[in-house]
Amino acid sequence: MMKNSLPVGNGLGLMKFRTMRRLLGACIGMAAGFGVMAGPIAGLTAVTAAASAAVADDRADFTFINRGEVGTLDPNRMSWMQDIRIGYALWEGLYALDGDTLAPIPGAAAKVEVSDDKKTYTFTLRDNGKWSNGDAVTTADFAFAWRRMLEEPGDYTYLFHYIKGAQAYEQAYLQDNKAADFKTVGIEVVSPTVLKITLESPCPFFLDLAAFPPFFPLNEKSLEKFKQVDPKSGRVSYGGEFTQPPNLVTNGPYRLDKWQLKVGQHLVANPHYWDAASVQSKTIDALSVDDPILGLQKYELGDVDWIADTTGEIAANLKEKGRQDVKVFPSFGTYFYSFNCKEKLPNGDKNPLADVRVRQALAMSIDRRPIVKNVTRLGEAPANLYVPPVFPDYPTPTGLPMLDGKSNADVLAQARKLLAEAGYPGGQGFPDLKIMYNTDVAEHQAIAEIVARQWKKNLGITLTLDGIEIKQFQTRLHGKDYAISRASWYGDYNDVSTFTDKYKGDSLNNDSAWVNAEYDKLLVAATLEPDVKKRLALLAQAEQILVNEVPILPMYFYVNKYVMRDNVSGIPLNPRNMVVFKKVAATHSK
Amino acid sequence: MAGTLTAADATGPMPGSRPDSLWRRVLSDRRILIGGGTLLLVVLVSICTLPFTLRDTPGGTSSADQPNRWYFDSQDENNPRIAPTLHVKQDPYDDKSPYVVATAFIFGTDDLGRSIAGRCLVGGVISLAVGIAAAGISILLGVTIGMIAGFKGGWVDAGLMRTVDILYGLPYLLQVILFKVAFEPNLEKITGSAQAANIIVMFVAIGLVSWLTMARVVRGQVLSLRGQPFVEAARAMGVPEIRIFLRHMLPNLAGPIIVYATLTVPQAVLQESFLSFLGIGVKAPIPSWGSLAKDGLTGALNPQHSEWWRLAFPCALLAMTLLCLNYLGDGLRDVFDPRKEAAKI
Amino acid sequence: MVKFLAGRLIQFPIILAVIYVITFLLAWVAPGSPFQRTERPLAPQVQEQLKRQFHAESWHGFLLYYPPQMLKGNFGPSFNYPGRSVSQILSDGLPVSIALGGLAMSIAITIGVFIGTLAAVFRGRALDWVSLTVALLGVSVPSFVAAAVLRGVFAYHWTIFPLGRWPSGIETRLIGPLGHQFWDTLHASGFTSALSAWAGSFPQYLYAALLPAIALSLLPMAYITRLTRVSMIDVLGSDYVRTARAKGLSRPRVIFKHCLRNAILPVLSYIGPAAAATLVGSFVVETVFQIPGLGQFFVNSVQSRDQTLILGTVMTYSVLLLGLNLLVDVAYGWVDPRISVGGG
Repeated sequence: MMKNSLPVGNGLGLMKFRTMRRLLGACIGMAAGFGVMAGPIAGLTAVTAAASAAVADDRADFTFINRGEVGTLDPNRMSWMQDIRIGYALWEGLYALDGDTLAPIPGAAAKVEVSDDKKTYTFTLRDNGKWSNGDAVTTADFAFAWRRMLEEPGDYTYLFHYIKGAQAYEQAYLQDNKAADFKTVGIEVVSPTVLKITLESPCPFFLDLAAFPPFFPLNEKSLEKFKQVDPKSGRVSYGGEFTQPPNLVTNGPYRLDKWQLKVGQHLVANPHYWDAASVQSKTIDALSVDDPILGLQKYELGDVDWIADTTGEIAANLKEKGRQDVKVFPSFGTYFYSFNCKEKLPNGDKNPLADVRVRQALAMSIDRRPIVKNVTRLGEAPANLYVPPVFPDYPTPTGLPMLDGKSNADVLAQARKLLAEAGYPGGQGFPDLKIMYNTDVAEHQAIAEIVARQWKKNLGITLTLDGIEIKQFQTRLHGKDYAISRASWYGDYNDVSTFTDKYKGDSLNNDSAWVNAEYDKLLVAATLEPDVKKRLALLAQAEQILVNEVPILPMYFYVNKYVMRDNVSGIPLNPRNMVVFKKVAATHSK
Repeated sequence: MAGTLTAADATGPMPGSRPDSLWRRVLSDRRILIGGGTLLLVVLVSICTLPFTLRDTPGGTSSADQPNRWYFDSQDENNPRIAPTLHVKQDPYDDKSPYVVATAFIFGTDDLGRSIAGRCLVGGVISLAVGIAAAGISILLGVTIGMIAGFKGGWVDAGLMRTVDILYGLPYLLQVILFKVAFEPNLEKITGSAQAANIIVMFVAIGLVSWLTMARVVRGQVLSLRGQPFVEAARAMGVPEIRIFLRHMLPNLAGPIIVYATLTVPQAVLQESFLSFLGIGVKAPIPSWGSLAKDGLTGALNPQHSEWWRLAFPCALLAMTLLCLNYLGDGLRDVFDPRKEAAKI
Repeated sequence: MVKFLAGRLIQFPIILAVIYVITFLLAWVAPGSPFQRTERPLAPQVQEQLKRQFHAESWHGFLLYYPPQMLKGNFGPSFNYPGRSVSQILSDGLPVSIALGGLAMSIAITIGVFIGTLAAVFRGRALDWVSLTVALLGVSVPSFVAAAVLRGVFAYHWTIFPLGRWPSGIETRLIGPLGHQFWDTLHASGFTSALSAWAGSFPQYLYAALLPAIALSLLPMAYITRLTRVSMIDVLGSDYVRTARAKGLSRPRVIFKHCLRNAILPVLSYIGPAAAATLVGSFVVETVFQIPGLGQFFVNSVQSRDQTLILGTVMTYSVLLLGLNLLVDVAYGWVDPRISVGGG
């Protein structure tokens, strides 16, 4: 049998025995080059138990899984939630935020005096403020960092434009760095402990900004090594290597001990911190875990004390199980669909979305309940407004009617009527637009599918899903190269304007290309209004216009999803994910 | 080349002889029968059910007054995630045909209430189409280039093989992304459908990287055939090169080509699943087995609440099909390639 | 042979240069900016300033600045990780990938050759089918599913292995004499203590890396099993084996002493490209087990359009691949003179 079915004639027959031995030797050498011999694998099971104990790294006092990979710890470039979170553990701004109330409380500064016109802030630093290398924290450190923010601008430089002359200086420096004069900027070092800031106009949230990472101080001495001077222009920039341990010098409750990409950061309490006595955990591990299931598995095994952001699906499953350790609470952001309001579509055709009636019809024919019930699943509040309900004194505007199961027929009739008036009765003649979303988050796709189905069912218009890769998505969204797109916005500071500013006619963030003169006028009026209440009323009027004009179709308000056990203390559940790290602790039985 | 020729060498150096014995051996190989048979079954079932399973994709034939059983109606308040069942007590669509409902839910439903069974069937068509298209492209390009390189030799060979080296070295992912960005919008204008454009681009993008191995294998075969006595004899007799090429080499290459094409299909299917894992695979809502596995992954592996059916069924189908393809390929290799030339995959 | 080698080695820089240029062009024309790190648009003046700082204002500016730097061994700063140099990311990630990939290849070769031999010896019987099917399952399930299921079962459910933990620095210990730890100890306290320190810690680090290595080995293992099986069947049928058996040598002795040696050759030729693919193609396993290897940076750099990092990883990968392919070609020419290496 074998003889018949098996042909002979191995092309590499026995006669080449010697060469083969050589080859074999070479290949074995190659395998040895990997440095790993297969042999030890056989005897492995025996050492498994012993090794298991030995390999376990010493667990930090507190371990948590950050939202994602920390890309940078340079205050100029920090922009992701996870970067900012580590930033709060390492640094302290002039002011800090109270974890429970989010009210600004003194941080590196002991006190502030605000002038009557609300335009001048005079900060006085603590006299016991110290850097992690033992140096005293001085006002010059703040002036240095803020100046660098203007000369070497980053993601959040625009927040500095509230300071007098800052925007002009940034422009001037970009044009001709030698002619630019920093004295024109309202940042004045009065003495090593007194810093005087002059603003363009009253800014009721300036103390809030002073607590935000871009406003953190930098230790100039520690950056000196990384200074690069452009030989031609004389422009100064600093190599980002200063953010790596052991180079990084910070003034907060912790210092950066280790930082490995894809693994995480190891933080150690900063002995020089002025309030070192109240720092609860000596060491903190911030892990970077990309796979949410891996995160949950680590948590379930007790390797991790806190998951700072889990997926909706996992949080929902835990909630359904009746688990008390999953905390779902309102967040500082809104999920919405953005309409391109330009007259022409990117391909040159007439854009039906330029007609406000079409946008209104589309907005009114969406039932958000299946989205929050079946996709996000965490009881998020369906939204017909843009600004999330986290501002207690804000007079909320009235949104367009939402489908709620009771008055569906009326609302839908109204929507169909609007669509018919716009020239598309029953969806007839409506062009084949695309719903754009990024495919790295599964929820976007599920929501897009629901939305497309509802529009087809309720209005008779057929839209195609256009799931694209995130970078392409960003480019097309900001380039207004889309018709309908998934979008979202998280506030940066504790004020309504962090939302409303996005849709200013000339705003960089206005992805809808929607321009409304009255809206812009109201926002300008709000900026100049010193009275807090009147100011909020102006902003509410502006939002009312936005809601009626529907450049965006709000879907729901985001929620935060923490997973943490009862043995964890010091992590408040505030919408802005603000954690005061010095208070964080976990009690372990082990 | 040691040893004498045996019956098993029929497809070897003597082209075209005894096709009957080839067929007999194909049909007597259990791997080919089982692998091929199951494969055929999967293909037939998923293609024949397309009219039903495709009804509800956007642009499909379902409408508000004629709800589709393969897709959960998102207006509904019921929980869309249904575990695999043969009996649906409460028909979520108030439908009068429980038989169809039961069939739709035999594999359970996904997070949007869509029948996994239905999506698996559509996904099968897509996944296999990607695989077959890739195999087709790899045959077309790989065989042509491999043959030219092997036959011409000299600088042509060197040039072509270095090109292959370079293409091997380029980041595949970057090529796919760029390819999609560059060609999808144009294709969409031609085909008039984003889905079709996406799938065509996917075919070509995966096919374009899978011809490299084929080219190498074919070149190696041609090189080794060139040294064979029957080719040298033909050349000595003054047979024109082109005739040697067509009459003597091509038939001898058929075996390895078919084998490698068969083995390219599973690789391409897996490649598509990898692209889906990265979120740049087949465009939703059109499913592929890879995208179904990716979509079901977190739901199924959740240690607290496992919706195992969302991963298990697409994966089982995928694994079964790929296993069959691999069996088929191995079996074909044994049949076609009596010398059992080492595979360089 | 020397002529062939020299010829190929001369070609290397040209091939690498072409790969560099094409990769750069692909990365340059791909939509999206590496400086745009979040969904929020970056102010134009900020973009401008960053581009200037990173020498990425124009394609010719980039090509004038970075390639000469690269020849000096400096791959430039990463665009997506401000504050990291590409060289640093590569030198952190490559040992991890080598340790993991080497371990995976060792497992794949050991088990693959073993199963392949078994399958060949018991050809057509149940054991053949079972062993082959088990091996093929590795290539029949998407790797992200296989890896995640392995993790769920062995690290989470049964807690036999550590769960997604790559203790820092274990890669340099795993690769022993290739890692700096070994040399540090060598300099400090001599060869024997370096060796014993390495050998003593090896099992525990091996244990920490074993599960991901198994997950990574599934694909090459399946191919090696098939290759071994095919060529073993071939060898088993050859004259000299029959002669050896006729002379009265025991079956295992014939199989392991005489056949395996010959049957393993095609496997060795596969190791080159497979090792290159395993070293850098480990994105999925690295993601699933959260391992800081090069595979993750390779894919992520493309996703974030981090041009310098793309070029750094691609060039590393290309050098590995070209080197290993050359080894294979040399081996082929050596073994089978019918194949004229280098295309004549």
